[in-house]
Amino acid sequence: MTVTDSQKMAYVAAQAADARVNLQFETEDGMTLNMGPQHPATHGTLRIVAQLDGEQVVRCEPIPGYMHRGYEKLCEVRTYPQVTTLINRIDWLGSFANEVPFILAAEKLMDVEAPPRAQVIRTILFELSRLGNISLFLGDLGIQLGGITIGFYAFRDREFVLNQIEAATGGRFHPNFDRIGGLKDDLPKGWIAETHRAMDRMRRLCDEFEELVLGNEIFQARTRGIGVIPADIATSYGMSGANLRATGVDWDLRRDACPPGLSYDLADWKVWTHPDGDSYARTWVRLQEVRESTHIVDQLLDSIPAGPIMAKVPRIIKVPEGEAWVATENPLGEMGYYVVSKGDLVPFRVKIRSASFNNISVVPWVTRGVFVPDVITIMASLYFILGDIDR
Amino acid sequence: MGLVESGKLPKPLTQLLSLSRKYSLWVYQWGLACCAIEMGSAFASPRYDVMRLGVIPFPASPRQADLVVISGTVTDKMAPAVKRLYDQMPDPKYVISMGSCANCGGPYWDSYSVTKGVDQIIPVDVYVPGCPPRPEALLEGIVLLQERIGREDMAERWKGDPIVVG
Amino acid sequence: MIRLSSADTPTTDAADEAVETVTDERREALLARITEVLGDAVVQSHIRPGDDLWVRVTREAWADVADASRNRLGLRFFDFLSAIDWLPSPFGRDMDAQEDLDADAAAAEPAPIVTGYAGGDTRFQLLARVFDVDEHIGVTFKADLPDEDLSAPTWTRTFLGAEWHERETWEMFGISFTGNANLAHLYLPGAFEGNPLRKDFPLLARRVKPWPGIVDVEPMPGAGDEGDSDEGGAS
Repeated sequence: MTVTDSQKMAYVAAQAADARVNLQFETEDGMTLNMGPQHPATHGTLRIVAQLDGEQVVRCEPIPGYMHRGYEKLCEVRTYPQVTTLINRIDWLGSFANEVPFILAAEKLMDVEAPPRAQVIRTILFELSRLGNISLFLGDLGIQLGGITIGFYAFRDREFVLNQIEAATGGRFHPNFDRIGGLKDDLPKGWIAETHRAMDRMRRLCDEFEELVLGNEIFQARTRGIGVIPADIATSYGMSGANLRATGVDWDLRRDACPPGLSYDLADWKVWTHPDGDSYARTWVRLQEVRESTHIVDQLLDSIPAGPIMAKVPRIIKVPEGEAWVATENPLGEMGYYVVSKGDLVPFRVKIRSASFNNISVVPWVTRGVFVPDVITIMASLYFILGDIDR
Repeated sequence: MGLVESGKLPKPLTQLLSLSRKYSLWVYQWGLACCAIEMGSAFASPRYDVMRLGVIPFPASPRQADLVVISGTVTDKMAPAVKRLYDQMPDPKYVISMGSCANCGGPYWDSYSVTKGVDQIIPVDVYVPGCPPRPEALLEGIVLLQERIGREDMAERWKGDPIVVG
Repeated sequence: MIRLSSADTPTTDAADEAVETVTDERREALLARITEVLGDAVVQSHIRPGDDLWVRVTREAWADVADASRNRLGLRFFDFLSAIDWLPSPFGRDMDAQEDLDADAAAAEPAPIVTGYAGGDTRFQLLARVFDVDEHIGVTFKADLPDEDLSAPTWTRTFLGAEWHERETWEMFGISFTGNANLAHLYLPGAFEGNPLRKDFPLLARRVKPWPGIVDVEPMPGAGDEGDSDEGGAS
C-alpha cells in the first residue's frame, strides 16, 4: 500500500490539531495551558485551564463536571436503603464515611438511635476509611512532586487497612455496611487484634513519610510558602477539614459538633492545626491526622461494648416528614447531607454538601501569580477526589 | 508491514508477532472514577504487580499505548474526550472496559448525565464486571486479552466478539 | 440476627433533656440576635431543640443576610447554597410502582405544595447554611422565590465560595443570581437542556425501562407471618 503525499499531510494536520488541544497559543496575552480532563498530574478527571504570562499563572480555572453523575437527582428516586449504595461512590476512597452522615440524618428524622456497640464500630470503620483515604494522599503527594517511592509504600500499607475493612464489611471499596439503626453485621473473630497490627503499619508509614518526604529539602522548597491561604479566605470559601486546620482555624466536627451516633468522646485525641496555611502545612496536618486516627482506632477497639448492633427499625423504611442537616468530619473535610423527607419511601430532596467542592473552588484565588509547577503542588496538597467535587 | 495488511502472513511469523505483542502491552490508564483506584492498586501496588504479566502501565501518552483501560464512569461530557483518546492510539489497539459504569452505566443506569456504557463510543475487547472489580479481576481480564492476542491473526483483528470475564 | 431495641435508660433520657434545653437557649439567643440585626427581613423561623435553626428571610434581603452573617453575627463559615423545588414529587409513594408516575399527569391534577420548616409560599426556595466556627452553631437560611422571577441577589460579595454554588443552583434549578457575572454551566455540557433538579425534569431512562433490580425481588424467608412486604409499601 502506498501512502500519498496528501495522506501524509492529512496525518500531520491531524497530529497538529491534537497537539493544539493541550497547548493553545494566543497572540498577545501569553498562552493558555490546558490540563485535563485526563492528565497524569490531576488525579481524576479535573480539567484545569490556566492563562499564563511566561511561567506565571494569570488566571487558573478548574472545570469540573466530567464526573457529574447526578447524585442529588438519583437520590430522589432511590429508597433510603438504596441511597447508601449510591453515596458510597461520592468520595470513593473513604466510602464508609460517606454513608455515615446520611444514615445519621435518616436516624435523626426517624428518631432512632443505634445501640452503643454499633456506634463504636461505626466510628472505628469511619476512622479506617479516613486512614485508607489519607494514606493514599500521602503517597499521591509524593508522586505529584516527583518522588514515586512513597507512592508504592502508601499503596502497600493501605492494603492492610483495606483488608480490615473488607474483613468486617465484605467490601474493599464500597462497604454499604451502615444501616438506619445500626450496622449490617457484627465484627468477625480476630478482627480486633488484626486491626491493632494494621494500625502499627500505618504509624510506620507515617514515620516513613516523615523521613522520606516531609524532611526532604526539595519537598520543603516546593511546598513551603506555596499556595498560602489565610483563615479568612478559607472560611469565606467554606474550606473544611485539614485544609481549614492548616490555616490555623481550630475546628474539627468530630470534636466540636459531633452528631449523635458516633462515639468520638470515648477516645482521647488531639486536633492539630498549623498556622502557615501553605501546602506544607496542609500536608503536615494530614500526617498528624493519620497518626491521631490510628490512636482513636486503637482506643476504640479496646472499648467496644457488648450488646446488639441493630436497633429495632421497621423492615420497610418510611422516614417521617421533616428536614435534617447532618455533617461529619470526613477524610476530605466537612461532608453533610440536607435531607428533606415527605414521609415517602424515598427522600424528597437531598442536598449533598461535599468537602472537595468547596475546597477546590478556592483554586482560582490561590493560583493567581504562582508558577506552573506550583499549580500541581497546590492541587495535590488541597487534596480532592473528583467524585466528591462533581457528585 | 505490507505483509500484515495484505492478510497473508506465514503462520510461524504470526505466532511470533503475537507472542511478542502479548507480552509487551503498554497500557494507558484512563482512570475515571472509583475503579481508577483499584486499577492503581493492580498496576502500581507491589501486591498485585502487573508487570509480571508483561504489561507496562506507564506510557506517557495514548500514542505510545497498545491497550487502554477505561475504568470508571463515562459521562456525556467526558465521552468526546474518550473518543479522541481512542482515535489517537496506534493500531492494533485494545480496550478493556473496567467496572459496571464503563460496561453499562452501572448504578447510574437512570442518570441524566452518564453514558450507558463506553461501548457506545468505542469498541471494547474485554469487559470486567464489578463495582469496582477487584484488582485480581482486572488482572484476569488482561490475561484473557493476552490469550486473545496470542490467538489472533492481525488481519482479523476486528472480526472477533468481545470477551466477558467472570 | 437478633434485633433488640437500643438500651435507653431513664437516666440518659434525663441527661439528653438537660443538654437540649441548654442548646435550645443558645439557638434562641442566636435567633434573637439575627432578628435584631436583620429586622423586618426575617419572615419566619423554626427551632428544633438541640438540633438546628431555620430562618426564612425575604428575597430582597438575601444579600444583606450574607453580609450580616459574616460581619456582624460571627457566622463566618460558608457551608453551602442551594435550592429546593417543593413541587410534589412523582417518586417514592409506592414500592409496587416499578415505573414512575407520569410527571405530566401529576401536574394535571394540582397537588398542594407543602413546604418544610420555617414555612414558605412559593414553589422554589433558596437554601443556604452558614456556621460559626468558634461557637459551633449554624443557621439554615431560606428565601422564597416567586415563579415569575426566579432570581436573587448574589452572595459572592460576602462569601467568595458562593460563586460555584450559585452556578450549580443556576444550572440545576434555573435560578439566576443578580451580581454573579459568571453563571456558566458547571457540571453539564454546554448543550444540555433543562434543569435536572426541578421535579418536573424526567429521568428518561426510567421511562424506557423499569427498575432493573426487580429481578432480585423475591419473598423474604418467613415473610408471611410479618405481613406482606409489598402491601406495607403501598399506602
